[in-house]
Amino acid sequence: MKLLQATSLTKKFQNKIAVDNINLTINKGDFVVFLGPNGAGKSTTINMLTGIIQPTSGQIEFDEKTTINREYRNKIGVVFQSSVLDANLSVKDNIMTRAKMYNKPTQIQLLINKFNLESIWKQKYGSLSGGQRRRVDIARALVNNPELLFLDEPSTGLDIQTRTAIWDVLNQLRHDTGLTIILTTHYLEEAQTADYVYIIDQGKIIAEDTVSKLQKQYTKNILTLYYQNGESKELTVNDKNQAIKILSDNSQAISDFEYRPGTMNDVFMNLTGKEIR
Amino acid sequence: MSGLISRNLKMYFNDRSGIFFSLMGAMISFVLYLAFLSQNMITSWSKVPDTKLLLDPWLIGGTLTITAITTTLSSLSLMVKDRESHVLADINLTDISYVGIQFAYIVTSVFIGVIMQLIMYFIMGIYFMIVDNSSLDLTIFPQVFGISILSSFTWTIFNLLLLSFVKKVDTLGKISSIIGTASGFFAGVYMPIGTLPTTMQNLMKYTPAPYNSAMYRNILMNAQLNKSFNKLPVSVLSKFKEVMGISISWNGALTFQQDLLIFISFALVISICVFLISRISRRLVLSKV
Repeated sequence: MKLLQATSLTKKFQNKIAVDNINLTINKGDFVVFLGPNGAGKSTTINMLTGIIQPTSGQIEFDEKTTINREYRNKIGVVFQSSVLDANLSVKDNIMTRAKMYNKPTQIQLLINKFNLESIWKQKYGSLSGGQRRRVDIARALVNNPELLFLDEPSTGLDIQTRTAIWDVLNQLRHDTGLTIILTTHYLEEAQTADYVYIIDQGKIIAEDTVSKLQKQYTKNILTLYYQNGESKELTVNDKNQAIKILSDNSQAISDFEYRPGTMNDVFMNLTGKEIR
Repeated sequence: MSGLISRNLKMYFNDRSGIFFSLMGAMISFVLYLAFLSQNMITSWSKVPDTKLLLDPWLIGGTLTITAITTTLSSLSLMVKDRESHVLADINLTDISYVGIQFAYIVTSVFIGVIMQLIMYFIMGIYFMIVDNSSLDLTIFPQVFGISILSSFTWTIFNLLLLSFVKKVDTLGKISSIIGTASGFFAGVYMPIGTLPTTMQNLMKYTPAPYNSAMYRNILMNAQLNKSFNKLPVSVLSKFKEVMGISISWNGALTFQQDLLIFISFALVISICVFLISRISRRLVLSKV
């Protein structure tokens, strides 16, 4: 079911076009990733979708409401790239004062439990580690129980454990509440689990599809053979059957092999001719 | 909106150094007075009895004006910081309207202005009570409280107008230092208004500051003025009032009611300006978030 649609979205800053005529359809319950290098226009797109900036041209519709509508804003939560909470205040003060800014009732206790905030509840936000802060940021974005959560590069600079922990909670939330998530990232591995991926470069969508279809369309599976004599050979193969055939034909000659399906990195490389980071 | 107000209040009162620096202008006037200003003035008014008891509330009046100016500015600075750090973008996602957000900053600032003026009033009052045996007359407290609300409101609106177009925290710092220094002169504390050249006096009269000080001084000094001047001719009293900025002269000395009226008119005119430019500043501010 369609939740959000953007048509011909364009944003110009003075004489620079940050986002150039992009179309998006976000389905309910999906985990959608905007993938692209720094400066590709991901954040500008998110800022337009969240109503923080107005597009130069184009429409955004969410349940037939536009971004200027307050009801629209009530249905979304945003985790900003840079932190927007107050370093001087405790986690409790930060979350509770934000909760009071909404008219509808909020489920703070649930968020405290989910994001493990009990132990840091009374600490000053500014004294927390990067991962702890991110947990609080996400809890803040979920204070109003949104249907759609925007995450603008939330895991930049976080260690792998923290990233995994955050994604565990978010996945659980998606499972429990049907939360729709839009994520911008330049971490390819985060895109790997997405339901749908938009690859953005220089303000344009250069490809969009599910992960498997993108990989199928833009990458080949790679089979590397390591021979007894120390040499190795890299082959591109269409599917596993072809790989098995090659392997059984060469079973005597090879000492080992590696089979790697195409990744999002290969997709990106093949589309733009450059590495994502 | 109460959420934003309580957040803003916590932000101000949690920041000890911020409070200290917002009172800097007031403290400078207090210290300068103790160091040499009071002695200078006592010498020049030596024929008036109990000059010290007269000058202590005079200083309090002016310093409270400075406090109102600088603390409301410091409180409103949060608004600019919030714009720059995208906090405004986040708050804009909540159920508070843009007008509500503006209003919350104003309410916070008025509240902080009143609290800080009262705190300064009691600190200075008690200090002079101990050191100079001045009396801290609590019967005038309702009037002091009333003026503190009025001055806090007026300076909040004034500073709001000033900060409407400020986008950078860097600019904010510069504005604060200018306002902090200028407020002492305009409130007529560093130097009594009557001792300044006429051009400067006229310039001051086009700002709300001297009227604010005059109102405070009228209330705070009333009892002591009656006592000190009861044996002196009325002309000496009017001269004293005029030179010391207890009554501002516009073709003759203004009464307390006239000071009040002028001060309120300033508040109204500035409010209208703020209202008129709010559409422009809103677009500017929101385009930056």
